[in-house]
Amino acid sequence: MSILDPEKNELRALFEFADFKDKHVLEIGCGDGRLTWHYADKAAHVTAIEPSPEQVAAAKENIPDTLQGKVEFHAATLEEFAAKSAPSIFDLIILSYSLC
Amino acid sequence: MVHALEEIHRLLKPNGFLIDIHPVAEHSTIEIHQNGKINLVGDLKVHQWCIDFAEADKALVEITRRGTFTVEQKGNFDTLTYYDSATEMNTALKESIHKYVREGEPVDEEVSHVEKLAAQADGLLQTAGGEAKLVLREKDQISRLKPM
Repeated sequence: MSILDPEKNELRALFEFADFKDKHVLEIGCGDGRLTWHYADKAAHVTAIEPSPEQVAAAKENIPDTLQGKVEFHAATLEEFAAKSAPSIFDLIILSYSLC
Repeated sequence: MVHALEEIHRLLKPNGFLIDIHPVAEHSTIEIHQNGKINLVGDLKVHQWCIDFAEADKALVEITRRGTFTVEQKGNFDTLTYYDSATEMNTALKESIHKYVREGEPVDEEVSHVEKLAAQADGLLQTAGGEAKLVLREKDQISRLKPM
């Protein structure tokens, strides 16, 4: 089975660029929560969106107990999510491999 | 993509920020790692067939030109994927080709290229012995953008 980024280069770069403390975070294209689990404990709250319902189901199933209530997942595209959202509500937005 | 960035701008608080991480198309390579040495198997030539990663760069340039965001910080890092075998890598990369190929683009040449790289890697792995690891190296760019 393949192993992705065991050196954690992506996480290292993310933490170098962003301080999550007390932040309300929106993660766009969260997939199965691969990245989410690593920073969510530092944030105030995380909203994670992903177009694939299968991926969202996997993320919900795998959510660590310590993050229950802190992370919410939505099966939605950015356009769908934005259409229902109020403006100016997030301190930090993460686009990981979603701008292409 | 520019429209997506405008939506993001609307959702961000004025003192918030955006982190974008996306692959840089050039130089995704297959390597064999053994005893601290890296042997190059070949270049995946992703830029020749993949959904244009450069479009992400263009969108960031356009959105900063419009004054919607300003780039506060930019950097690069490598993402490495380790495979148990050349067969596993071959299967995974062919799935990626079908998933990310530009619409209407034929894939025969790309699939053939991946199979050739996998065969080369398999040969090298067998010669190298048990400690050798088969690795895909991809380049990624990370940017921190502040809404204006």
